[in-house]
Amino acid sequence: MKDKTAVLQGTLALMVLKTLDVLGPLHGYGIARRIEQISGDLLTVNQGTLYPVLLKLEQEGSIASEWGTSENNRRARLYRLTRSGRKQLRAETKGWEQTAAIIGRFFAVKAGDLK
Amino acid sequence: MRALRRFFRRLTSWTTTHQDEERLQAEIEEHLAFQAAENVRAGLSPTEARRQAALKFGGLEAMKQTYREQRGLPSLESLIQDAGHALRRLRMAPVFTAATVLTLALGIGATTSIFTLVNAVLLKSLPVANPAELYRLGRENHCCYQSGYSQDKEFSLVSYDLYKYFRDNTQGFSELAAFPSGQLLFGVRRSGNSEAAQSYPGEFVSGNYFEMFGIGPYAGRMITADDDEPGAPPVAVMSYRLWRQAYGADPSVIGSIFNFNEKPLTVIGITPPGFFGDTLRSTPPDFFLPLNAEPFVESDADLTKYDTHWLELIGRSRPGVTPASIETQMRVELKQWLRSHWGEMGPGDQAKFPEQTLFLSPGGAGITSMRDQYQHWLQILMMVTGFVLLIVCANVANLMLVRGMGRRRQTSLSMALGARALRVVREPIIESMLLSLAGGAVGIAIAFAGTRLILQFAFPSLPGLAGVAIDASPSLPVLLFAFVTSLVTGVAFGIAPALMAVRVDPIEALRGSSRATTRTGLLPRKTLVVLQAALSLVLLSSAGLLAAALESLENQNFGFEQDHRLVATMNPKLAGYRPAQLSLLYKRIHDSIESIPGVSSVALCLYSPPGGGWGSGVSVEGHPAPGPNDDNSSSWDRVTAGYFQVIGTPILKGREVSEEDTATSRKVAVVNEAFARKFFGNEDPIGRHFGRTQVASGEFEVIGVAKNARYFTQDLNQPSGAMFFLPETQAEYAQTNLGSLFLRDIVIQTGPEASVPFASIRQAVAAVDPGIPISSIRTLREQVSSRFTQQRLLARLTSLFGALSLLLASIGIYGVNAYDAGRRINEIGVRMALGASRGHIVQLVLRGAFGLILFGLFIGLPLTFVVGRFLGSQLYGTNPYNPGVTLAAALVLGFSALVASVVPAFRASRISPLEALRAK
Repeated sequence: MKDKTAVLQGTLALMVLKTLDVLGPLHGYGIARRIEQISGDLLTVNQGTLYPVLLKLEQEGSIASEWGTSENNRRARLYRLTRSGRKQLRAETKGWEQTAAIIGRFFAVKAGDLK
Repeated sequence: MRALRRFFRRLTSWTTTHQDEERLQAEIEEHLAFQAAENVRAGLSPTEARRQAALKFGGLEAMKQTYREQRGLPSLESLIQDAGHALRRLRMAPVFTAATVLTLALGIGATTSIFTLVNAVLLKSLPVANPAELYRLGRENHCCYQSGYSQDKEFSLVSYDLYKYFRDNTQGFSELAAFPSGQLLFGVRRSGNSEAAQSYPGEFVSGNYFEMFGIGPYAGRMITADDDEPGAPPVAVMSYRLWRQAYGADPSVIGSIFNFNEKPLTVIGITPPGFFGDTLRSTPPDFFLPLNAEPFVESDADLTKYDTHWLELIGRSRPGVTPASIETQMRVELKQWLRSHWGEMGPGDQAKFPEQTLFLSPGGAGITSMRDQYQHWLQILMMVTGFVLLIVCANVANLMLVRGMGRRRQTSLSMALGARALRVVREPIIESMLLSLAGGAVGIAIAFAGTRLILQFAFPSLPGLAGVAIDASPSLPVLLFAFVTSLVTGVAFGIAPALMAVRVDPIEALRGSSRATTRTGLLPRKTLVVLQAALSLVLLSSAGLLAAALESLENQNFGFEQDHRLVATMNPKLAGYRPAQLSLLYKRIHDSIESIPGVSSVALCLYSPPGGGWGSGVSVEGHPAPGPNDDNSSSWDRVTAGYFQVIGTPILKGREVSEEDTATSRKVAVVNEAFARKFFGNEDPIGRHFGRTQVASGEFEVIGVAKNARYFTQDLNQPSGAMFFLPETQAEYAQTNLGSLFLRDIVIQTGPEASVPFASIRQAVAAVDPGIPISSIRTLREQVSSRFTQQRLLARLTSLFGALSLLLASIGIYGVNAYDAGRRINEIGVRMALGASRGHIVQLVLRGAFGLILFGLFIGLPLTFVVGRFLGSQLYGTNPYNPGVTLAAALVLGFSALVASVVPAFRASRISPLEALRAK
């Protein structure tokens, strides 16, 4: 599976965007925790892989970041969704739902159903 | 869009590398601290909490690497890294770097310098608006006059009447302008100034000339169609150069009166600085006058003659009109015009009427006489400098190979540690690129100096006049050429070391020491030396051939004496003389100069050798009239009494022109041997009659036959042509408009020991009339030698480049031999231990060296024949396959190779066997 990281990165990016959409500005650790809570074991071993994804999203202008203070008064880098990121999230959510629906239907069909 | 934004962020990210690294580090720290704190809340000890956090975060370095790769553009960054690395390495080897850059600079500089000339003379357009829209009449240059109603091959020169016919009827041209084919000189002085007149080059132009070129005034106004009307107030336009240099950009020049050949004209404007007229030449015009001022200024007006064709045409085509359609239209117009003059045409012209045609050619570069003249000359120089550049490449490649050998261990270690091949190859290539670009930068400076020097020698300008409009400072095409040449050079000499780098076996690193099992690297180096030897042979023999050709040109039998002869050049026409006054003027000038102490005799002539002559047809009394296709041409000269004695040309038969030939005595001529052979064969020409018209007439009686003397009316390699000499006293002074009535050269013979100051000659002429401009005074020897300026420059430059190539090749041979001997140190030690003498060792090394040279000669020999053929017309009839020259070149090369290999050979022979065997 050569493209595993690419797939992972793509999925992760979408999860990051959704997390920031739901929870508002958040630091890297917070994003990692949230993804971990929802997706189970996707990040359990490699929380670090999140950071290259954050960089890519920032370079693309989907998210922005600045230094701030976290809930327990620690200095932290806070990420927030930009307008273009919100647009991207909306588009990708729609695309993802369509793909999921098609794949779902495909798997639901049994050999005998199309006679 | 997003991808694009990301690309730019990545592109600029290297500026913030350091900051970004810090930020990532801080973020990771925060992340781990959060996780650790949570782990502590879950009940772990602080140390364990931290450990678990780090475990959960995953591989730190791998993540950082991914992060970095995403952040910037790794390929670009590593390129910059490599370049920095290469620069550091070059700084550590200053001698190598300096030597390489200098060698490259010489090669690139020489090539660029010649390219500057090629660009200016062969490639560049005139500095006018949209030169691509311009077309000129004629495919070849047929300077300067044609008479009658037919022209051979193509109708390329036109009379004023024919110009007007074309201008008014050719719809395809928005403007069609005319100007004379030959260059004119005007004797000019500002009205009200008492100083003597100066002669300046100028030209008559049609009223739409500046509009056609799209040239506006720098100051004042340009000539317009209204100025070019019969009876319009006479005006002139001055060049920017003259305005600056002679009049200090004085604004009062515009509107003031200047005397041209003693006729008053008003200067109305100044041309813009870069404009040099319609033709690139060594003496660009300083004045432009309307065509209709010609009868006013010149005593021999050509403007009103229908059958004197002296004008070149350049037109600006209308948008969308093809040159082919204009050409077709003009051909019809030419026939119509000729037909309207049917009654005036002679039978010869009428017979040639059907074949009369014309051609248009691109006119953006103007009249390209210089292009025709210098094309081959420049091609030879371009080839020579190209060879030098190749030799330079070979030399530098050799040096690079040695460097590559030195880096072998490092390279194989890198490969063993998993360096990608691409990265390993890139290193030497980047290094060569940096070197060649540095060489190119220095080369541009050398090119600038070199071009200035060549321009000075190739196109010498007279003091006070403008030089050829070629700028030595590098222009955009020249810079581009130097840059591309540098890049190509860099690849050319970097490719071999690079290829060698990838062929390195990683195992060698493990084997260690210089005891390499293969001798790779020596074969390419030997090949390069062979190539250098071959190219050097070609350059040396080219230099030899050109030098031999120059030698035979300069030392040929000229048929006149060069010692104790001076030539002063004047122009009485520019002082406003009328033909009727001329004979007396010549007499007075003659007497005035002859009375200078030290002068033994004086004669005036139209042309002194090796200058040309006027052309004419000849028909001999008693022979059938020549047909239209017979070659009955001869050139002729007009001379005063005693001319042959003054110039030192022996009279073989009969007598020369003397005082007894007067205006009223029978008309006579002296002919040369070539004339006698061409028109009389074996008959005795003395006492026979010939004429200058097509119908046989007994106009002149032959009174003497002179030895052939070199008057170069044609190419330098043509043998002496037929020529006749007419006495000045019998000239057709009754005709008012003959240019040939104005004698321009005064030949002065001085006593064997006497030295005559030039100033006294000027004084003697000024005593007769201060208004006569003397344009030059020089010895006849100088006059002859100035005829060979181009040839001398070509021979010298080629010799210089030949010497340079020899030096480079010798360095290359030395390098390879020294290196080879060094590598064979063990072998030499064994041989000596087994009893080989020092002589044997010297022989061993020399044999290797001479094998290479012989191989080089073997390859170079056929090349010298090819190049000999290419030199062709520049050899002026000397043998292009001159075995003596080739042999001499081979010997010189062999001797240099011997010197270059003797040093390493003797060094090798002096090694003690014990030391040699111990060496690693």
